[in-house]
Amino acid sequence: MASRLSRIWPTLSRVRLSAALGSRCVSQTPKSSASGAAVATDLQPVSPAAQDSHGHAEVSPFEKNPDFHGFHHHDSFVDEWNMKLAFFFGISVAIVIGGTFIHYLPDHGMRHWARREAERLIKQRESEGLPLMTENFYDPSTIVLPSSGEE
Amino acid sequence: MLKVLIPTIMLFPTIWLTSPKWLWTTTTAHSLLIASISLMWLKWTSEAGWTSSNTYLATDPLSTPLLVLTCWLLPLMILASQNHINPEPINRQRSYITLLASLQTFLIMAFGATEIIMFYIMFEATLIPTLIIITRWGNQAERLNAGTYFLFYTLAGSLPLLVALLLLQQSTGTLSMLVLQYSQPLQLNSWGHMIWWAGCLIAFLVKMPLYGVHLWLPKAHVEAPVAGSMVLAAVLLKLGGYGMMRMMIMLDPLSKELAYPFIILALWGIIMTGSICLRQTDLKSLIAYSSVSHMGLVAAGILIQTPWGFSGAIILMIAHGLVSSALFCLANTAYERTHSRTMMLARGLQMIFPLTAMWWFTANLANLALPPLPNLMGELMIITTLFNWSPWTILLTGLGTLITAGYSLYMFLMTQRGPTPNHIMGLQPFHTREHLLMALHLIPVILLVAKPELMWGWCY
Repeated sequence: MASRLSRIWPTLSRVRLSAALGSRCVSQTPKSSASGAAVATDLQPVSPAAQDSHGHAEVSPFEKNPDFHGFHHHDSFVDEWNMKLAFFFGISVAIVIGGTFIHYLPDHGMRHWARREAERLIKQRESEGLPLMTENFYDPSTIVLPSSGEE
Repeated sequence: MLKVLIPTIMLFPTIWLTSPKWLWTTTTAHSLLIASISLMWLKWTSEAGWTSSNTYLATDPLSTPLLVLTCWLLPLMILASQNHINPEPINRQRSYITLLASLQTFLIMAFGATEIIMFYIMFEATLIPTLIIITRWGNQAERLNAGTYFLFYTLAGSLPLLVALLLLQQSTGTLSMLVLQYSQPLQLNSWGHMIWWAGCLIAFLVKMPLYGVHLWLPKAHVEAPVAGSMVLAAVLLKLGGYGMMRMMIMLDPLSKELAYPFIILALWGIIMTGSICLRQTDLKSLIAYSSVSHMGLVAAGILIQTPWGFSGAIILMIAHGLVSSALFCLANTAYERTHSRTMMLARGLQMIFPLTAMWWFTANLANLALPPLPNLMGELMIITTLFNWSPWTILLTGLGTLITAGYSLYMFLMTQRGPTPNHIMGLQPFHTREHLLMALHLIPVILLVAKPELMWGWCY
């Protein structure tokens, strides 16, 4: 049943699609970019201003400047320098130098110190025979409680 | 603190006095330098308390990761907006970057504030540039509705907060966080006090957002331009989490009982919003609901008030900020090429953009909390502390994790795999700028695997 369906389905789908798309099934012509754009915009209509402002409908910036980096559409000098500075400050300065700075931060949050101090105190208290930690943080005799008669 | 704040304020003359040709180059470089300097906040000179302080601003282990995230995000926003804002008239471009820079200034002052009223003022002040960005530069007519929802949901929550803060000032005599952390616990035993408790937290819960009051978020995220979505997802939501963590110190012991409904709402929200994600056709809407889902976990972690909960919340906030922003950037690259957010129309992109498929893959893996990335670590800590609070929560959080993996995979498969549609004829290749943007988002997430103690906060 499934194998029969899988044989019929491609033809079925093609028939349905071609009926729906009509002449647009012949989609290899360059003209189809217009109809392609129309299909994309059926659900989300694009204002002409947006199309013009992005310039995608007209000509790709890669045609004028094959090394287009995405920063500046018309001036390749600015585009290239923007790319260089963005990479330099973003990667070389911020990530590499910043990362090195963070890596070599001394004992961040004093966690290594806390570990060493704890080990030192444990060794000291064990050698003196004292308990490792007293149950009461505060000396109970210094705590003044209200008498049970009051609120 | 000032060594970052003054350069940020000097961004304004930079924006308005640079020649139009070099505007984006100089602002990108300037903001990246600010981001590099902000890394100096990570050098803590004391083990638990406040550092880098002046009279009004200070940093502590909770605010430092969020501050660094904020400073890191401004250059990323500028990089992301460059393509779609470039064709506009030069003064409008300058206004746009001015709005981003002013957001940055307010956010630095908000996270660095030591006085809660200052935090409140900056919290409110961030609404204005965001509202302008959404309503002026959004792409569809729904942006006006989105702006309204965004503004009034947050305002409705924060007016009770103002009253609550003034009441607190009356009763304790100070609103400085440095002092309040050592004050005596308040006598909270009447209905009025419970309403005060709610007033303190509602604003932040709306901002996070908590599930019941989350309606503004999908609208605002979807209608905003890419920089607006980035800053909303990455930082503004974290303002809510940060505010909650600051207020929690004073709200004991009422929180033990009163937090109950909010924890349940948050957990239920993880599942509900995750399930909504599985049914989304709009890519940005999917990412927005995924933000609500992750933030639900953060809210639950904060309301539990244990050290693991707080640490997990901070870690998840930072990691989610970077990853969510990365996903919005990726969605924007698809949007700029097809002018549609519908996922089915930009499908099978792996065939035509193979390198970008790697970014999509990494970002989606990070979103579904793949080990060893910090997303998972934060989620695990929150799930563990919730389990300790009540073993039944593992049902909700476990199901939530499953659904998160489900919709992240769904997003990846829908956009990358499958047949490339026939109507896609000519899409521009991926720009160097877009690759750099994704790298600058995801490299910090990967680097944080190596040194997570930067994010652990002061509880661990």
